[in-house]
Amino acid sequence: MENAETRGPESSSEVRVGMFSFAHMHAASYIHFLAQMEGVTLAGIYDDDYDRGGRIAAQFNVPYFRRSEGLLDQELDGAIICSENALHAPLVLQAAGKVRGILCEKPIATTVSDGQAMIDRCRESGTKLQIAFPMRFSPPVMELKSQVESGVLGEVYSVKTTNHGSMPGRWFVDAKLAGGGAVIDHTVHVVDLIRWIWGTEVVEVYAEVGRELLHPGLGMDDVGLLSFQLANGIFGTLDTSWSRPPSYPTWGDVKLDVLGENGLICIDAFEQNLHVSSDEAGKTSDVNWGSSGDEGLVADFVAMIREGREPSVDGEDGLRALEVALAAYESARRTDPVQL
Amino acid sequence: MKRVGIVGAGGISRTHADRWSRMPDIELAGFYDIVEDAARGAVQRSGGKVFSSLNELFDAVDYVDVCTPGTAHVGPVVAALEAGLPTVCEKPLANSVADCERIVDAAERTGTPLFVAMVVRFFPQFAKAKQVLDSGAIGAPGVIRTVRSGSYPDGGSGWRKGLAITSYYADFAQSGGVLLDLCIHDIDYQRWCLGEIERVFARGMMFAGKEPKDHALLTVRFASGAVGHIEGSWSYPRGRSSTRIEIAGTKGVIEWDSRARQPVEVAIAQEDGSLASSGSSPTAPRHDPYYAELAHFVSCAEAEEPFLVTPYDGLMAVKISRAAIKSLETGKAVTIS
Repeated sequence: MENAETRGPESSSEVRVGMFSFAHMHAASYIHFLAQMEGVTLAGIYDDDYDRGGRIAAQFNVPYFRRSEGLLDQELDGAIICSENALHAPLVLQAAGKVRGILCEKPIATTVSDGQAMIDRCRESGTKLQIAFPMRFSPPVMELKSQVESGVLGEVYSVKTTNHGSMPGRWFVDAKLAGGGAVIDHTVHVVDLIRWIWGTEVVEVYAEVGRELLHPGLGMDDVGLLSFQLANGIFGTLDTSWSRPPSYPTWGDVKLDVLGENGLICIDAFEQNLHVSSDEAGKTSDVNWGSSGDEGLVADFVAMIREGREPSVDGEDGLRALEVALAAYESARRTDPVQL
Repeated sequence: MKRVGIVGAGGISRTHADRWSRMPDIELAGFYDIVEDAARGAVQRSGGKVFSSLNELFDAVDYVDVCTPGTAHVGPVVAALEAGLPTVCEKPLANSVADCERIVDAAERTGTPLFVAMVVRFFPQFAKAKQVLDSGAIGAPGVIRTVRSGSYPDGGSGWRKGLAITSYYADFAQSGGVLLDLCIHDIDYQRWCLGEIERVFARGMMFAGKEPKDHALLTVRFASGAVGHIEGSWSYPRGRSSTRIEIAGTKGVIEWDSRARQPVEVAIAQEDGSLASSGSSPTAPRHDPYYAELAHFVSCAEAEEPFLVTPYDGLMAVKISRAAIKSLETGKAVTIS
């Protein structure tokens, strides 16, 4: 097996990054920010969708690779993997040892065993595995963390959260590729934020999961309400539902209301908006002008490679968040809380 | 002209008395309270006379409005129904399911009209949201979320702090905390909108030993398969209350937030250079929810039509609130029998 550590951090001032699949729409945002970054070379794009990969490669004027091996042969420093959830594992296993760092889209995988295998292989081969949780880089979220850490709330009682979304369609509603619907799609972001803000773990989860409640014929869950207990004594809930219809002004939200003995802090990570009424769109839309967490995430990933440091969000973080999502499904099946 | 007698002279009694006083063709006959001083104070504020017993009150009125704490509803309500007097009962119908069942039995046995004052159904934004939902504008509902949160209900005001009701709220064994006192509104509203509730799961502070602070987050499952979320709180910082509705369906979403921009905003520069600002959302007097619910009672009682809230609705709301408390105690989801 190749070992990524043989290629030291000083081997090049340029960081060469390859993009592996644009199945997840976040990839478009990542490449947009990468293309603007000093000292980053976009080495190429691999995508199993020829049209999609070719189009984006042409747009950014970089080579397109029909096979992942071809792109992995380009002396990459970093690999950004935004394939379908179930296809994270094969790509990560393949890239481990061939690059210094991997940024893998969330959720880490669709099963715990895949996630664990990814972590193990990366550790053995000396490749740093970072999971893409861009919300850690959202300024309103960062402000919440700093407020919580200041202790201004006193004892914290509860955290009520939502990560609503629109029904994404495509492979996101293919249970085999996505691993599930709204619950796996949206549990992991907020669970990661909670683990990060308080340095704690979810120890129990109860969930009501609804199938086809909002999207008849979907064939999977589109509604999720999680009720959880944290190791540090805080309790809370999370709404993961795909409950934002096409007529809604925006795609969804990430909101956290933290209640403590001295008061309440509420954040809405996507509430920095222009309200744009358009006859073309036939509705009024929120157009966000806030600082994108994706930019901070990608910059952090590049800095990790350049400095040879450990990832700020690692594979274990990704796995813990996935475990909560899977426990939510298990709880809904049993109509009973599940301990983690 | 119909005469109304109020049983109980606490906080909600004052609100009701004010609305009865403004209603045409209604005469507020007076108050009965086991604490006669409380009744005397109410009479000084709102008029009428002090009754020295329930029976004396019953003999002098056409309608009875029971505004005692939930633990003390069953006695006066059953007696009023047996006296054949159409009765308003403040929520919760009673604090125990057993008391609720006795009241429902009495209502059925006597055939006397009984209206449970689930006032949230009469808040114009809640009533309108139900109307929009029923119109089909958002398709079939899948998720409903409501919030009813504020600080502990001593109102921060001297007169309320002095009332026995204030310590009643803080005694969760009596009042049932936010789950029975506050979330019952949302349970009733959500059930009204989405139908029967199959089970509940609750997390909260009722048994955390932080009285009078309480806070709860509930998930509910409806027989239709839809799900609901309820937040109720007596732990918000004073002055920062919040009420919200969100109903998501197959074809759209309904939202209302008490903290959205107010239709009237006043900003006045003070001499010391600070700013005094306030907002309000005025409605026509007849759309005041307390006025509207009592006017609804009168019009249904006179036309002998069923009320918007039935005794059974009152019973179910208490049953579900109690199930939520049981969920807190057991850490399990509780199925509604």
